[in-house]
Amino acid sequence: MTAPTQKPVSATNPWSWARVVYAVFALTVFCFPGGMVDWLEERNASGWLAAPLALARGVDAASAAVGAKGVGQGLRKWFAQAVGDSES
Amino acid sequence: MLFPTIDFGLFFAFSFALVWGLNSYNTLKKVVLLALSLAFYASWNWRFLLLLLASGAISYVVGLYVDAKSRRPYRRVALGLGVALDLAILGYFKYLDFFTAQVLTLAHALGLNPSIGFVNVTLPVAISFLTFHAISYIVDVYRGRLAASRSPLDIVLYISFFPHLVAGPIVRAHEFLPQLASPPRVGDFSFGENMLLILGGLFKKMVIANYLAVRFVDPVLTDPTQFSRFDLIVAVYAYAIQIYADFSAYTDIAIGVAALLGYRFPQNFNQPYRALGIGDFWRRWHMTLSRWLRDYLYIPLGGNRHGALATARNLMLTMLLGGLWHGANWTFLIWGAMHGVALVADHAWRRSAAFARFGAGPIARVVDWAATFHFVCFAWLFFRSPSLDAALQFIAGVWSDNGAPSTMPMVVLPLIACGALTQIVPSQTRGAIGAMLDDRGPLAQAALGFALLYVIVVMAPSASAPFIYFQF
Repeated sequence: MTAPTQKPVSATNPWSWARVVYAVFALTVFCFPGGMVDWLEERNASGWLAAPLALARGVDAASAAVGAKGVGQGLRKWFAQAVGDSES
Repeated sequence: MLFPTIDFGLFFAFSFALVWGLNSYNTLKKVVLLALSLAFYASWNWRFLLLLLASGAISYVVGLYVDAKSRRPYRRVALGLGVALDLAILGYFKYLDFFTAQVLTLAHALGLNPSIGFVNVTLPVAISFLTFHAISYIVDVYRGRLAASRSPLDIVLYISFFPHLVAGPIVRAHEFLPQLASPPRVGDFSFGENMLLILGGLFKKMVIANYLAVRFVDPVLTDPTQFSRFDLIVAVYAYAIQIYADFSAYTDIAIGVAALLGYRFPQNFNQPYRALGIGDFWRRWHMTLSRWLRDYLYIPLGGNRHGALATARNLMLTMLLGGLWHGANWTFLIWGAMHGVALVADHAWRRSAAFARFGAGPIARVVDWAATFHFVCFAWLFFRSPSLDAALQFIAGVWSDNGAPSTMPMVVLPLIACGALTQIVPSQTRGAIGAMLDDRGPLAQAALGFALLYVIVVMAPSASAPFIYFQF
């Protein structure tokens, strides 16, 4: 007789899913902060996104300080050159 | 607001917590999902929200009247009226100018000069998918496959639910509406598998499809006279991989996003370039459209119930209309006609004595696969070309070589190989890795999810092409 299979708590709790989703988003933004800063700047003509933009610039500075931004940019540039994509 | 954008990433991050936060309050949750879906649609053009709501209203009212249990008189007439109204909306926005142009061309050829003008309306985003969902609901209710919903909220949410709204998959009413009856349970879904589905979709779109489109296919198809025979031939294969990577990416992300919100969508692709025969291809390519056309067009036309000739006619009509559904252009009609003829031939071949005798051997299977794959690739040429003249110019270039040197970027062949790999990897792989991730817990899920997204962002080109099926 086999024991009934039971899913782990992490597989049955939406807030466990949320932690993963937000962690993946946050880490990606931290490693490639330029995209978020540009996105916010494009939409901040009237200044209504000043607070999130300041936050994004803070993340950008922190990412640059620990080297994550530089590594991400470097890898993108290296890959673009490797495949001959001069526009990247 | 398209899937692989910061806009959608933020929209999803906001929606995700909100929707699960309201999971104990099903009606409120559905109201919020509808508001999110309308906001998603309004991000293109808020004026077309009226169209969406009108489509929902028609479906709701007609559904109540034609409900199989109601036994009301003239149910069939009401159904016809509802379908006609849905098709009239589609026809006005998508086909009126095309048919006007054909009438004018014919009239000028006959020496007439009628005073017919073009309407020049903007084509609403997702109009074709929206119409198919609306028709699916009223026909399912008429056939008794589904009870008419008393909730207009459910109907409008079914038609407008943002993961499938723009480019499918086409979710049929009886598959989706019962899911709205009670709050979803997280345990019914694999987080790991759906995360991999979304990330796989992002890779297929942002890396494979975008590189192929921007670096090679678009330039070649824009002016084929400037490219060598080799480049033109490779471009056909590259487009076959691009359209698969592009469209399957969209529906993979849609299915994954819907699952992360607690709703199940049907599968839309099953390694279509492995198909043995055109019939098999259509059971693997855009499966939800194939099933829709089969259930709501081919079978009502008579299907295969009235002999070989009627079956051939029904297959041709279904594929011609399927082609026209993609767009008001002769190239789509020719593409549909080619597939119609191939389906008729495939149907006859598989029922022949010759197939029974020779069709199952390994050599016959290889020939079957090669013939199917190359036919599909050749037909894509008409699907992709902006006009019939452009397609013929392309074919002439393959014949004459255009005298141009090959300028194919080196990244194209590895990308085609990568696309081919998606057709070979066993389809259970994602489910198995997803189940393993579910067992390992959030840390492993976040680590793998981040690592894969990091690689995708590193590899993605700076330029991107719009989703191909976005225009339909």
